[in-house]
Amino acid sequence: ETPESVSPYALCYFSSCSSWLPQRVPLRGSHWQSSLLEFRTSLPVRAQPKKKKKVDVKKEQAQKERMKKKLKKLEKAAPELIPIEDFITPLKYSESNRVRSLPALSPEESERRVLLLKKWCLFKQKQDEAEKKAIKALVESQQEALKELRLESEELYQAAVRRDEGLFPFERDGPTYTPPLPGYDPPEGKCIDITKVYTQ
Amino acid sequence: DAFLGCHRSYRSRPTHGIGRFKYLLPKEVPKRKKEKVQMKEISTGTEYQYGDINIQMTSYDLCLVEHFAQYVHRLCNRLSIRVNESYAMPTKTNEVLFLEERGSKMQLDAVLTTHQRVIQIRGLSSTFAPILLEVIQSNQPEGVHLLMKQHTEADFKSRLKSRPELEELLAEIS
Repeated sequence: ETPESVSPYALCYFSSCSSWLPQRVPLRGSHWQSSLLEFRTSLPVRAQPKKKKKVDVKKEQAQKERMKKKLKKLEKAAPELIPIEDFITPLKYSESNRVRSLPALSPEESERRVLLLKKWCLFKQKQDEAEKKAIKALVESQQEALKELRLESEELYQAAVRRDEGLFPFERDGPTYTPPLPGYDPPEGKCIDITKVYTQ
Repeated sequence: DAFLGCHRSYRSRPTHGIGRFKYLLPKEVPKRKKEKVQMKEISTGTEYQYGDINIQMTSYDLCLVEHFAQYVHRLCNRLSIRVNESYAMPTKTNEVLFLEERGSKMQLDAVLTTHQRVIQIRGLSSTFAPILLEVIQSNQPEGVHLLMKQHTEADFKSRLKSRPELEELLAEIS
């Protein structure tokens, strides 16, 4: 008995392997096609795919809950006002101990100043009183005009007393010392906004 | 408290607790440390009255705008117009660059700070509004820009710090 002897069945199997396959199952197209079924179908495998789905959904839910918790925490904190730089004195002005030494005033000078102050106070008082009087006069004349209008026609009076929707927004630039120069050619340039942005 | 407050414990004597007075004072409400910045209700006003109006004064000069704001506030007090709030908006800083005549380089001209003060009034009657406007305009100093508009939620929100994290989260969730 030589080890090279092969059983007759095996020989028969090898010689007619193609004809041994049942005819109804199609041949495999190539060695890349792992299953004997049609293209892009596979036998239900109870391994990787389903696990992926469950884990994904759970992960997404957990992520969403984490985000919601974060949101709640952030929303709990009250919003803060932006600090106003005008009201914060820079440190360099409070650190140094410089003291200004003023010259001594002569009595005539101090007398002159006191009298000037008094004159200024009187001027301002007169100005303020004039303003109050003007406001009073305006209000009185307005009331009188409205009274007369009421006597004239009730409808017009009602329309006059209603509020003016076109009044606001109202914008006005402050007056200037001199009128704009004619034919002035300003140099070209640009403005960069360097305001500090505060975030909470 | 009488038993704990005193250091002389003659509880049987009729003079016990003779120095007590705190129970006679009105009860003090404990100070709340932080007051949450909440938006007050914005009133729209009736047909004969304007609702919340903001008088915004803007200028490059701080002292001028500050004094003008004080003047307007006192004027409203004198004319018995209710002043809801009087606050300052955050300062804006601008760098002004100009192009040199002979050259292509931008040169720094100045750094300007813009200051804004806001006075919020309520219940201005329709007949008195033009008078008030006239008075404020006649006293408007040079360089101070006046703007009167109705108060909105957006105006209030512009005073608050921005919260990019919150906005990001909200964008992600929705």
